[in-house]
Order: sequence, then C-alpha cells, then structure tokens
Amino acid sequence: MLPKELRESLKDHIANIDHPRELAVDVMFTLQDHYGYLSDEAVKEAAELLEMTPLEVDEIATFYTFVYREPVGKYVIHVCDSVICWMDGYESIKDCLCTKLAINVGETTADGLFTLLPVCCIGYCDMSPAMLINRKVYGHLNPEKIDSILEKLKAEA
Amino acid sequence: MKYPQILLQNRKPDRIATLEEYRQSGGYQALADILEKYSYKDVQEEILESRLLGRGGAAFPAGTKLMSVADDASFPRYIVCNADEMEPGTFKDRVLIHADPHMIIEGIIIAGYAVTAEKGIIFIRPEYESGAKILEREIDIARQSGYLGKNILDSDYALDIVVHRSAGRYICGEVTAQLSALMGKRPNPKQPPPYPTERGVWGMPTVLSNVETFACIPHIINNGPDWFKSLAKTETGAGTKIFCVSGKVKRPGFYELPIGTRLSEIIEEHAGGMRAGSEFKACLPGGASTQFLPKELYDIEMDFDPLREAGSRLGTGAIMVFDHKTCLVAATLNLIEFFARESCGWCTPCREGLPYIRDILWRIENGEGEEEFMPMLERMSKHLWSAYCAFAPGAISPLQGLLAHFKDEVLEHISQRKCPFK
Amino acid sequence: MSKLIIDDREIEVSPGTKVIEAAAQLGIMIPRFCYHPALGSVGACRVCAVKFIQGPFKGVQMSCMIDAQDGMVVSTTDEDVADFRRHVIEWLMLHHPHDCPVCDEGGHCLLQDMTVSGGHGIRRYLGKKRTYTDQFLGPLLQHEMNRCIHCYRCSRFYQEYSGYRDLGAMQSANRTYFGRFTDGILESPFSGNLSDICPTGVYTDKPSRYFGRRWDYQRSPSLCINCSLGCHTVASIKYREVKRQEARFSEPVNGYFICDRGRYGFFYSSLESRPRMARINGKQCTFNQAQHAMIEKLEEIKKNSGSAAIAAVGSLRSSLETLVMLAQLCQTKRWRDPACFIDSSQVQNVKTAISRLEPQLRVSLRDIERADFILAVGADPINEAPMLALAMRQAQRNGATIVVIDPRPVSLPFPFLYLPAAPMALSAYLGSLIKAVVNRGTADKMGDGARKFYDRIPEGKKLAEAQPPLSSEMLQSLQQSRRPIIVCGTEILSETVLSLSADFALLLQAAEKQAGLFYLMPGANAFAGGILSGEKDSFLQIIEQIEDGSIRALISVEADPFWWFDDRPRLERALDKIDLLVVLDYLDSQAAQRANIFIPTATFYESGGMLINQEGRVQVAPRALLGGIPISQAGGGDHPPRLYDVGIAGFDPKAAWLTLADLANGAAQEDEKALQQHLWKQISDLIPQLATFSSIDEIPQEGIVCSCGVNIDSRFSINWSAASNIRHDSGDDFDLIEVDWTFGTEELSSLSPCLWKLERKPCLVMHSGRAEIIGLTDVDLVEISTETGSLEAELRTADNMAPGILVLPRHRKLAWQIFTPGKIRIRKDQIRKKQ
Ligand SMILES: Cc1cc2nc3c(=O)[nH]c(=O)nc-3n(C[C@H](O)[C@H](O)[C@H](O)COP(=O)(O)O)c2cc1C
Ligand code: SF4
Ligand code: FES
Repeated sequence: MLPKELRESLKDHIANIDHPRELAVDVMFTLQDHYGYLSDEAVKEAAELLEMTPLEVDEIATFYTFVYREPVGKYVIHVCDSVICWMDGYESIKDCLCTKLAINVGETTADGLFTLLPVCCIGYCDMSPAMLINRKVYGHLNPEKIDSILEKLKAEA
Repeated sequence: MKYPQILLQNRKPDRIATLEEYRQSGGYQALADILEKYSYKDVQEEILESRLLGRGGAAFPAGTKLMSVADDASFPRYIVCNADEMEPGTFKDRVLIHADPHMIIEGIIIAGYAVTAEKGIIFIRPEYESGAKILEREIDIARQSGYLGKNILDSDYALDIVVHRSAGRYICGEVTAQLSALMGKRPNPKQPPPYPTERGVWGMPTVLSNVETFACIPHIINNGPDWFKSLAKTETGAGTKIFCVSGKVKRPGFYELPIGTRLSEIIEEHAGGMRAGSEFKACLPGGASTQFLPKELYDIEMDFDPLREAGSRLGTGAIMVFDHKTCLVAATLNLIEFFARESCGWCTPCREGLPYIRDILWRIENGEGEEEFMPMLERMSKHLWSAYCAFAPGAISPLQGLLAHFKDEVLEHISQRKCPFK
Repeated sequence: MSKLIIDDREIEVSPGTKVIEAAAQLGIMIPRFCYHPALGSVGACRVCAVKFIQGPFKGVQMSCMIDAQDGMVVSTTDEDVADFRRHVIEWLMLHHPHDCPVCDEGGHCLLQDMTVSGGHGIRRYLGKKRTYTDQFLGPLLQHEMNRCIHCYRCSRFYQEYSGYRDLGAMQSANRTYFGRFTDGILESPFSGNLSDICPTGVYTDKPSRYFGRRWDYQRSPSLCINCSLGCHTVASIKYREVKRQEARFSEPVNGYFICDRGRYGFFYSSLESRPRMARINGKQCTFNQAQHAMIEKLEEIKKNSGSAAIAAVGSLRSSLETLVMLAQLCQTKRWRDPACFIDSSQVQNVKTAISRLEPQLRVSLRDIERADFILAVGADPINEAPMLALAMRQAQRNGATIVVIDPRPVSLPFPFLYLPAAPMALSAYLGSLIKAVVNRGTADKMGDGARKFYDRIPEGKKLAEAQPPLSSEMLQSLQQSRRPIIVCGTEILSETVLSLSADFALLLQAAEKQAGLFYLMPGANAFAGGILSGEKDSFLQIIEQIEDGSIRALISVEADPFWWFDDRPRLERALDKIDLLVVLDYLDSQAAQRANIFIPTATFYESGGMLINQEGRVQVAPRALLGGIPISQAGGGDHPPRLYDVGIAGFDPKAAWLTLADLANGAAQEDEKALQQHLWKQISDLIPQLATFSSIDEIPQEGIVCSCGVNIDSRFSINWSAASNIRHDSGDDFDLIEVDWTFGTEELSSLSPCLWKLERKPCLVMHSGRAEIIGLTDVDLVEISTETGSLEAELRTADNMAPGILVLPRHRKLAWQIFTPGKIRIRKDQIRKKQ
C-alpha cells in the first residue's frame, strides 16, 4: 500500500489538473520510485488514482522503456547500444559490466543493487560510450571509470 | 571560420545561463515587443517571412504551422515543445536546454502568443531528467518574473508551461504519437485529418515544434526575418543550425553554424577532422533515419534542399561519421535493431518488416548471407515506405543508403561468408 | 456522387465512400484485416494497398483510408501493389504458428484466405518465431495470441466501439499483446463478437471448441429470442444440435454484432433434460396417445363445465404462428381468450406502446446510432436489451447526449446524465422537459388536443417537487438537438409515461426536430402478444377465475408461469384446483413437470417462424434444423448405437402451432401445406402490411415494419392530474421493482451453462442512505417476508438510484415469487437482517 502522504499528494496533484490522464506517466514514475518497480499492485493503485482501469494503465506502462513492470535493482544501468556507442565499444563496456557485476544483460545482481539493461541512444553521442544509471548520465566510459562508478554506488547504497 | 553564435551565444562551459544573463543578451525583449506592438498575426507573419523550417526533422515551415490554427478555432489551445529528441546521434535539444533555457521558454511564449495558446507543454525524454529539472526551475523563475502566468508583462496574454516527462520511446517524438502520449494513451501515431492544429491535445488546437525551432523565434522577432535569412550560406536557407557531430571525428560535439555550411568544413574545421588512423567513409547527415552520404558527397552544403537532392535529408542535423574501418553492414544492422525495437507496433511493414530485415542483415553480417537476400532487402526497403507513419521510411533510409552506395561491401560479406572487417 | 475507375471499370459512389468499399460495389474484394465497416478505417494492417494512377492521390496507398473521388483511376492488380500486399502477408505470417489443422477458425479464416489469395505460399523467413502466453478470458472465448496479426480490431471493438475497458493492447513493436491486465472473465457482454471480428483464430468460440469446421456445420440464418430486439443470428448446427451462434448482419436491427446473452442463449435447445417424449400424468407415451388424451379430456371438460371453463396461456417466446394459432383455437373453441401477459398492467403497457408506434415516430436500432440526443425513460438497456446499449454507445461516440431517467441504478459503458427518479415522478419530469423545449405555439400546430394537453401540464410547483431537478445541461442539449430519440421501457413504467413519451416525441417533431420513439418490450414476441391480446387478458385474471371455480382446465403453450408469476404459492393452489393442465413446451419447465398431459414442441430453431420485434418489425427465421436427439446424447458420449428403426430418435416434437391446429381440428392433420396456407391467411389478415406477400418466404430479410394496432386517437389523451400526483416518499416503505439482468433472469439464456459464470450474484438493491437508516449495509444478508413467503438475498447498496425503491432481479437462483401481482409495496419492517 502506498503511504497515506504520498497518496494524498498524488490525489491533490490529480485533482488540480483538467485531465488526470495527463499525469499517467508521472504517477507511474512516482509509484515506481516508491515500490522499486511498477508492480501489479502499483498498476492497480495508479489506475484507481487516475480513474483508469488497470488494463488502461498497463497499456501504456508496458509500452515504455523506463517503466519497469518487473523487479529491478536499486540502480538500473541502461547502457546505450545504439550506433555511435556501439562503434565506440559498447560490446566491451557491456562485457565489462557483466563481468564486474557477474550478471547477464537483463539480470539483477544477487544483492539487489544493480540491474543491467541495454537502451537506445540516450542522446549523449558526443560522450560515447555512455550509460545512464537511475537516469543520470555517465560518458566516455572505460573499464577503470566503470570500476570507480560502481564502487562509489556500492558505497552509497 | 568563426560564425556568429545565436542560439549558443550565452553558453557557458560549466553551467547554464541565468535569466539575468539571458536578459542582458537581449532576452525577453522580443516578448515585450510583441506584447506591446504586435498582433498575433504579425508574429505569424514575421516567422513565416523568416523561412524558419522546423528543426525536428521534418523541415515544415514554422510560420505556416502557426497560421494553420484557424482564427475561429476553439479554446483552450496548446503549444507543445518537442524535447523528446530520441533520434540517434542527436543531442542539440539537450545542449540548448543546458545552455540557455530561457531562450526556449521565450520562444514558446511568443509562439504561444501567435496562436493564443493558454497552455504550454514541454515533452521531454526521461534520459534528460537533468534537463527536465532545469526547465522546471527556470519556468518557475520566468513565472515569478512575470513572463508566464496571467497577464504576462501586464498584457492580456496568459500562458503557463508545464514539463511533461515521457517514459521513453522513440515514436513519442512523432507529433501525433506525442499528443497521444500526453493524454496518457498509447503513443501510436494518428494519420491526419484532423491535424493537430485543428484537434490536438484533448481535442483542442495544438501547435507542436522542436526545441531548436522555438529557440530561433526570439531572435527572428528581435532582428527581423531578413537578418535570419542572411545567416544562412545557401540562397534558399535561413538561420543557423546546431550540428551534432559524433563518431570517428577528433572533436565530437555540437556546433552552431550557418545553415548550408559544407560537410567537409564541419568535419575538418569544427569537429577537428577525422581521428588519427581514420579515413572518412560515410556519414549519416541528419540522424539515424537518413541515408548514408558517401565520400563523393563530402562537400555537400548542409541545408534541407541540397540534401534532399542528394537523396538524403538534413533531418536533425546530427552528423554521424563512419570511418574506413567500420563495417557499414554492422552499423546498419545496429540501426535497424534500434528501429525494430522502437517501432510502435501499429502497422505491419514496420512492426514485422523491420525485424525481418534485421534477421537478414544479421545473417549477412555473420557469414550466413545468400545472394537472394539482396533483392529481398531492396524490395522490402521500398515497401517500407508504404508504412503508416514516417518512422518506417526513416528507419529504412540507412539501409537504402547502404544498398545505393555500398552494395559491394554487402556483396563482399555474402561472397566471403564473413564480415570482411572482422 | 463521385465517379472513379477501378481496374478499368467505372463506378459511381456516394461521397464519403472509401475506395475499398467502392471496389466492393464492383465485386472486387480488396484484402483487408484492420478495416471493418463498423469499426472504420485505421490503416494499420496495410494489406488493402492499391495503386492510384490518376487523381488527387498517387502511388501505393491504402484503399481503406481514402475517400473515392472524381477522376480517380485505381488499380488493384498493378505489379507493385500486388508485390507489396504479398509482402504484408508474408510479414503477418512470420510468427504465425501454422496451426490451421487444429484451429477452430480454419475454414472461415480471413488470414488463410488472404494468405492464399495474396500469393504468399513459400516461407522465406529463417528467424525464430515469437511466442506469447495466452490468457484465460472466461467461459466464452478461447485466447490464442500466437495467431495474432495485430490488426487491432479486438481492442478497437472492445474499447472504442463498445466502451469496455478491460481488454486492450499492451507492449509495443512486435511484442504487442492483446489481452487483459490479468487472466479473468471479460467484462463486456459483447465480448463474443471478438470471435466474429478477429480475422484469425485469436479469439474463438469456447463452448464449441474443437467441435467442427465451418463446413461441417449446417448454417442457417436465425433470430435471437432472448429479448425484444430480435437480432439476426446465424445458427451453426452439427450432429442435430445448435453448437454455435454468430451475429448476422442486419442493417436496421443489430448491424454486425449481437450480445452474449443472444449469442450463447441457445443451449436450452439441446439440453439433455429437454423433454422429447409426450407424457400422461408423468408417464411417457407416444405423441399420438398424448394428443388423443388431450382432445378427449378437453371434450370432457367442455361437456361438464362448458367451453368457457377452458383457458389458455401463451408466451412471448413463441412464434407468431403459434400465438395466432392459439388465438384462433380459443376463438373457434369458444374458450376464453388466451393470456400472454402476467397482469393487466403488462398487457396495457404493451398495447399502449403498440398503439403509439406511429410510422413517423418509430425508429430502429440503427436510427438510435445516429441520434444526437437520447432520453431513456424507465429503460435499463444493458440489462433489458443489451444491443440497445451498444447502439446508444455509437450515438454517444458521435457526440450525442444521453439522459437516463430511471429509478434503478442504471449503468452503461459510456458517460451519460442520470436522474434517479421514482417511477411516480417520471411523468412530471417528462412534463417539465416538454415545457422547457416545446413552446405553446408549437403545440398549437398539432391541433386542439395538443394545445389542451400542453396547457394542462402542471406548472412550476408540482414539477419542482420532483427531485432531483433536471439539469440545465440536459435541457440545453435537448433544445439544441436535431435528432432526439426517446427510449422507453414497458416493464416498470405506468401506461401514462409510455403515452407521454410518444406525445413528447410528436411535439419534438412539431418543433422541427427529427424525433423518434423506441420502446422496449417484455419479451421476444411481445408485440405479437400485444396485438393478439385483449385489454384484460392476463394470467392473473385466469388465476382469479380458477380461484372462483369458473376455469377447470388450462392449456399452457410454451409458457411457464412458475418462471414469471409473482405469487408461487397462489399459483400452486390454483393449479391444484383445476381438473386438467396441458402443457406444450420444449423446456422441461415446472409447469411441464406438473402437467397432466405434456406434449413436447419444437424450438424456434426447429420450427422456424415469425417474430415481431419491439419496433413492429415482422421478421422471419427459417427452420435451422429438423430436430431429434443430438448425436452426442443419443450415443451417451460415444458413437450412437444403430437402431433398426424408422425415423430419428426424439423426433416427435413439432411446432406448437401444428399441435394446436390438430387440436382445433379435432384430429391430427396430414396436409401441412394447407395448414400453412390457412395460417398465412390469418396472419396477413392480422397484419395488413403482409397482404402484398403471398407467403412467408417472400418477406424480406430485414423484415417488414407493421403498424397494426396504431391508434392516432390516443394522442395527447393522458390524464395529467392523475399522472402528476407525485406520491411523497414517506421513507417508511419501498416500491419493489422486479428487473431483468443481462444474465441470469431471462428464461432461455438462463439455461446456458456457459453463461452461469457471468451471472452476478442475486441480490436486492437499496439506496445506501435508506439502508443506513434502517440499519443495513452493503452485503448484509437480508430476508423479506410477505404474506406469501419469504426471500433471502444479499443486500447491495447504491447511491445512484431513487431512494424509495427496492430492486429485485428475477434471478434464476432466487425463489423470488412471493409477491402479490401488481404494484408491490414493501414496508421497512418486512425487511430483516439475517445473521
Ligand atoms: C519517428 C519520428 C520521430 C521523431 N522524433 C522527433 C523528436 O524526437 N524530436 C522532434 O523535435 N521531432 C521529432 N520528429 C518530428 C516531429 O514529428 C515533428 O515533425 C517535429 O517535432 C515538429 O517540430 P518542428 O516543426 O519544429 O520540426 C519525429 C518524427 C518521426 C516520424
Ligand atoms: S511505421 Fe507503423 S509501426 Fe512503425 S512507428 Fe509508424 S505507425 Fe508505428
Ligand atoms: S484494411 Fe486498410 S490498412 Fe488494414
């Protein structure tokens, strides 16, 4: 269940807009941040808040890349695999991440910290190869840099 | 060559320009002027006169779009700023947001005034969360300074802007898909009629333009359409363009240059030339959904018309440079992979045709190519132009460029039963 | 008109016609998947591509997306487009499981047809196939997502067309998935249409799964008798049973679709418990023995007590032939006139409706779709006649305002304005609506009667008492409307409201609006029952006369009073009292079980016949099968034993009217043709519009709308002072209204096992405020006691209903027959909470 405060603030927000559905993505993001991912439960809650049906929420939730309908780690790493990053070494960056995290693409580390997902061009081609972690960008990647980024995040976790 | 910096004039290496800095460079003067002296029609005419073409890729005349909102169209009307920018290779909108957000905001307000819009929405991709935060903050500041809200600068005009976060899909950049996304619906494109300017967001007249398009507008008002046209190097062009250069060049980055600047100049002078040991082989001139330009067109003027004549498009002006060591079959495979994944799934050619093409290309790249694949690729590419929206024609453009200019490279893959670059 | 050339042939079509339709008019079937005439064009599948050679469009374009225009030259055979279409089909087949041999769609699959006709025969794709996990969608439809070609027809029909919100498209790109949020029963009572519109086998009919290919079935046009709309269906028969039913296109009635009650409401026809043999006092006998016994017994009673001691009861699910024959039988035998209705108010309501259905007022379901304002009074579309709701949905999608004035908590799959009015207040509302939108001058145009009527509409004060008030939105949209339609139920209203609705529609016409009137009726052949019944002929009257001893024998023809008579104990006492109960039926009803003489009859599928729907449309269904015990039952699940016998097992039942004809003639009749001719004469005498036809076979498919019974003199004749006498809700008691639900209350469809899972739990519905006052809450188990008996049910509370009302569904699982027929009032102390 969503904490009352969060629920109320979402309700407020929704009440103050002409068309609640406009907030569908915002509400999904908020619930996702709260639960870690958009669980079935969360879809139902979002539906109720937005006066939509769970199916209607799921119709859009499953459409988008950044809505996670399955559990993910605390940090979601989106490595860019589009053409410029690919040319500048996406494969080795991905392999490096897989080795360091001991997971395959699409998986979450055993400690629940990291999930590794490839993603389409993230708009940082001038800093290729690049990745996003929880929507923050890291560019000009190389193995050492990846090491320090992961270490830092582990320490913060 | 150094050229006047218009859109990037206030750009700082390490931070965004403040409202004060924007004002000092003449910011919000255009808004004050139009509110005082211009009718909404005047604004439309100035912009039409300036020949500003949409910078989002489709090159539609901005003035014409504003004028297509009928005088008696219903209210409220919406103005939408497309900051989805998911075209691979493109990051100009990101740069503009991080350089001088008020320029965009002012552009939106002026365009909003030109169609009497009440609500502005900036639709931004989730990868640009930092940009979204900046915009939210600066919109607030603009509101506090009287540029937004009721009675803007004590006039009768009222407009507010909200930032709408997307959850990430390339198709959301397409106008009609974006409008559906805004309404919390599946972002499948919708063929007009009705046009968004008749019935867009919530069935109301909506004008949607790209970030860079909006950023040009204050300068057109301040300096006049003739000045804007004079910025271009080509006869028919107008304005400057932010070229995003990426790939095998020494200095990947963004360069504001006159429209019509030659490709060779952009690569050699501004992007520092090719990387050591790299030779220019080809580039995609306007993002992933344009055709490869081969070496023969290295000198082309980077403007809408010349590129169209060369069979490609200026698109978003994102120049992706490939060198002689890069396998263009593999590069195209990567691009097709992108498009196959991002297809919205509405129409058959795009939804099923692209994965099919991906499969064929994958086989060619991985030594399983057959000669009979060639006519298949050619036919299917042609047929993808009969898809529902512009996504599929864009998606197939690199492959068509590959087949037009680098057919031998593909055939070599097939005859050698391996990738010659591996 | 636009003139264009398609494949070198010229055609002229009306403006707005799509090229794909224009081609169809030339007999050219351009392939299509996403396009459907009812759902419109969306251009998703791209298989309808044609080449535009001249005119405003050029090159390869979708023929479903472009209006035919003057000067167009179009080719469907051009090499380019043919190749494009071939590719589209190849793409659509990439992931198809190629499971046609085990797919129920096989044989009537659009994808199969297009794959073959499109010229895609050889698989070139070397990649892997995508697979999906299917969902459980309930008892009616089987889900097989791997067969999906992503035409989006299902989600468009489900959400946009019908307004339900639990099935749609999820995921994106080539992972796009059509289904529900989670496994579960589809909420839409129109879900069965998915199996008709899906161009491949993603949604197939579950009850008939694996039973046969389309070509294995005898397919016959038929009509739905599960409500008064009379939708057109196709019945599919195999091994002597109806196994599947689909929608049949009917321009004026149901369009392309039918509801699930109708689609799956046929199972009664082949129930194992269906009586196939005649019985005398419970003992099986031959048909002839029973018939003899019946004739003899009736003679005897006539001799002892006179003809008037014999009464007959018919029902609204019988064919027109049977009802006419029954009426004729009673007349020639000088029995009492037959009763088809429960009580006099039911007859009167139906008769009033019939008398007011003037040709210029009555509208079809299709007209409803085109209305721009619909006022539903005392009608609960989804529950009483689901397809009406679907038609109203189309109007609403096109911008119509829908207003519902009804005491029940009406719900519809789209937004509408609702006034929870007590039945007594309905005429007051109508009066004030009339006053608000029609001025006196307009009324004056309609003559003296209309003006007087108008002047007598009670003014302000009386109307103000009606709560809640009409909203200005309602009034405004009615004022602005150009094609308003009044929809009016006949079940819970008084005759006055029915009349008033018609008067209102007349006045709207006088106000230059294209107004229309649409009544719902209490059964499939209620219209026919209405024209054949006298004002007072009701079953209640029969009961009273049994009680006073004047009736000694009762013949019940395809009627089961146990199902619909309000007072069960009284019914039982009455039946105990008579000397003879003869029952003719195809159901194993309670009446049939009690009958002294029982004679089985043929179902509507086996006899065919005529029905008059609520609009007055005389429609014909041919006989769809001969009858007989289904093979599956004859063989006990195995191959049936070979019996060296003549005829078909269980073949005795014949159309009820034939048995009645035998009875009328005193002996079995040989010459069926002659009987038919005789009957046709009777029917065409009754319905003058049929006089131009020489036999039933000439009646066109869309039927003939008749105006028999129309009585212009009844215009503007209501008694205002009585009508506007609003009884104040004292808060102490309730008006109980018995209602229909989509599933579980209608006699025939209630016998379909596949629909049982869709039934709502039986309950009593009370206004939540009122419930609170008497100390009851939602889902309490309550008991209602009357002098007659008591009834237990769950209580459900609702905010959106008239407070003084208690709603009771005539649910098959509820022994609700404990009331005195007529208006039922329940005091609050009659309702008690059970532990
Ligand atoms: C598949 C597809 C993706 C697009 N993505 C973007 C985008 O990310 N940003 C953008 O500004 N325009 C994008 N466009 C172009 C828009 O449809 C539209 O033409 C443009 O935003 C209008 O703005 P403009 O007139 O200022 O160029 C895309 C078009 C297509 C067909
Ligand atoms: S081409 Fe078709 S499937 Fe592709 S994005 Fe456009 S509409 Fe969607
Ligand atoms: S029928 Fe025209 S695109 Fe599907």
